Amino acid sequence: MPVTVIARPPLEDRRLALVLAEDRVGHYPEFRRFLSRVFDLDRVGLAEPGYVQAPSGLAYALVFVGRSGEPWPSGVELFAIVPALEPIDEPTVDRDLWAILEWVIEGVGGDWTVRDLQATGRLYRLPAVSP
Amino acid sequence: MSVLPAELQAQWPYRPRFARVNGWRMHYVDEGAGDPVVLLHGNPTWGFLYRDFVAPLTAAGRRVIVPDMIGFGLSEKPAHEHAHSLDGHIANLTALLRGLDVARAIIVGHDWGGPTGLGFALSNPARVRALALMSTWAWPLPPSEFHTRIFPWRLMHAPLVGPYLLGRHNALAGRGVYLSVVDREKFRRRAQAAYEAVLPDPQTRLLTWTWPRWIPLDDTGRAVERFRWLERGLAACALPTLLVWGREDDVFDHGVFAARFKALLPHAEGPHLVTGRHFLQEDSGSQIAALLVDFLDRLDRAPAPR
Repeated sequence: MPVTVIARPPLEDRRLALVLAEDRVGHYPEFRRFLSRVFDLDRVGLAEPGYVQAPSGLAYALVFVGRSGEPWPSGVELFAIVPALEPIDEPTVDRDLWAILEWVIEGVGGDWTVRDLQATGRLYRLPAVSP
Repeated sequence: MSVLPAELQAQWPYRPRFARVNGWRMHYVDEGAGDPVVLLHGNPTWGFLYRDFVAPLTAAGRRVIVPDMIGFGLSEKPAHEHAHSLDGHIANLTALLRGLDVARAIIVGHDWGGPTGLGFALSNPARVRALALMSTWAWPLPPSEFHTRIFPWRLMHAPLVGPYLLGRHNALAGRGVYLSVVDREKFRRRAQAAYEAVLPDPQTRLLTWTWPRWIPLDDTGRAVERFRWLERGLAACALPTLLVWGREDDVFDHGVFAARFKALLPHAEGPHLVTGRHFLQEDSGSQIAALLVDFLDRLDRAPAPR
């Protein structure tokens, strides 16, 4: 199952578990442009998070962060949406995060390729990447 | 209690000291007596990088000060990326060395320890006697060829990828350093755990993906003006300087980077080429320490400038 943008999933009896934080999403501005485009952030602003569904079936919330004096958004936090009182399944979340990164890189495009990302993952022997 | 794995503790027997610097808690070691030699590490290492330097230098009558940069080693690790800047790290070092009232210092810089140490040296010239530089840089552009590559360098610290790869998976302090030494098996056995142990959790690894984002790739880089100032300062710098580089360095290739330091500082000694990639201290620590001892001994014997 690929990563797909979804509408707000049911949040009743769910918890938002912080799994990744990026303080500087515009370090390479094309990453900011991609997320702005996909989640229509110039229109939506801070009104609501973006949501994606990852290959495991888990939904993730992307909470965008603004910072005075910097282009919007300046940062983004990823939260796994999980049963409120249950611990996260770390290997599952790790694989999902990797799939989300592949989706981001694919969307950013240009010089950034999933092939290079996978090569980087293999070089550093990430568990989520096949050898 | 040491944070180091038991099998590595014998390599780092030094008393930990802490100082409040520029609003942060900095760890350092301070051994021996004599003119101070300040050993400055970069990303993602800490004082342990210089474990083969401390004993030979103190035995040669030098005081050795080894700070852990704020964000690394046993020093405080800020939680926000915006806590880090090149100017801030120079100010951190300045606070430590002024607090210790250091004079006649020999500033030894590697990687980000280069721009940081040179920033201190150029803004505190009365406290500095000499420089020694290894696998580093001090000008805005052009970047090293390695730093322009998408694979693996720019991908490693790209938005979201950096916090995942270097944060969640500690890729730089572990396998990253491993890939940047010559004798990888020795490194794995004798040192890798020491670098990983001091960055135990993702949030403690923030600086490992923040520093790469401070390397200017073009005129829009955040530290461009500071690097221009460093380059101008070095071009007018008469401090005795020792250059030591790894023959196999593929991050700051000696043919480009040591050569540019030599052009800026024509009076510099070297570059002495030793076995080593970017983390040359891992492969040739004792040899570099001997070069440094010899350089300083000759400096002592040289007639004082009139």
